Amino acid sequence: MDEARKLEAKGLARARSRSRRQRVATIRSRTIRGSLALFAVLWGVVFVQLASGNDPVLSNEQRAEGSSAAATREPTPAEPAREPAPEAGAELDGSEFELEGEARPEFERFEAEPQFEETVPEIEEPIVTTSS
Amino acid sequence: MTAVGPHVFWITSRAAGIAAMMLAGGSLGAGLLIRSRGESRRLLGSDVRTLHEALSLATLVAIAIHGAALLGDAYLHPSPFDLTVPFTGAYRPLWTGLGIIAGWGLAALGLSYYARGRIGAARWRYLHRFIPVFWALGIVHTLGAGTDAEQPWMLLAIGLPTVPALFLLLARLFGSPDAGPPRRRPAAEPQLSGRRG
Repeated sequence: MDEARKLEAKGLARARSRSRRQRVATIRSRTIRGSLALFAVLWGVVFVQLASGNDPVLSNEQRAEGSSAAATREPTPAEPAREPAPEAGAELDGSEFELEGEARPEFERFEAEPQFEETVPEIEEPIVTTSS
Repeated sequence: MTAVGPHVFWITSRAAGIAAMMLAGGSLGAGLLIRSRGESRRLLGSDVRTLHEALSLATLVAIAIHGAALLGDAYLHPSPFDLTVPFTGAYRPLWTGLGIIAGWGLAALGLSYYARGRIGAARWRYLHRFIPVFWALGIVHTLGAGTDAEQPWMLLAIGLPTVPALFLLLARLFGSPDAGPPRRRPAAEPQLSGRRG
């Protein structure tokens, strides 16, 4: 192989290598941009779903409060309600879910337990009255 | 209208979790195409490997955001321990525990690619085959603990990359002629095994 052919082969190899690096960079940047776009779209979907009052968790709680069977359901640690549901029979226009940042501690899931304890004396009182 | 301000971290975690599952499905599909032979590989060429790597890293970043965003959620307020040690959190411990195992598994096996020189290419390849197990655990976690798991848009979003990946996986497992690993020349094997980095 003469010198000219060697140089030509080297040039060709360099060009191939450069083209390969460019392709890799293009794929990486497209994947990064695509992933960011995907995340942004999903964020937007969840945001709109929540803001419009159609969030699965929040709307489930809303429906549960509307039915008499679910009216007595207490939020449990396994399935906590994210926000307080309005009183049964109340008109639901979405404003019930308006929250202030300071109000969030009220919805701690462990606060459901004292509520449960409070109901126990109410049940026991009539029993005590009838037995005496 | 619901005030979304207090839920920003929760929304971020949900979006990142769904994105992670979509990216993981795409990455798995691309990974299965790398070692397939036939028309699919001829069309896509060696760029599939780059795509697989980029999607895998994007998946791991999304998983990290999925977990880290929950640290800021004022409602669940989990500790870093709850988010990193399986079955210790208060919220749906079984499903979240499976998700944590899936996240650790995908991170460990995915990032082991960069240490394959140390662990050996053959051993790394053997370990890499367990990635679909952790991917499946991730899907179970998504369907079990996911807030949007019953939403049609969510099922469609997860299904789009999952179904082709599952098809390719089953084709690989049951030996479809287009999905088997390419035949190697015996001489090439020691060179690959000895390669570092």
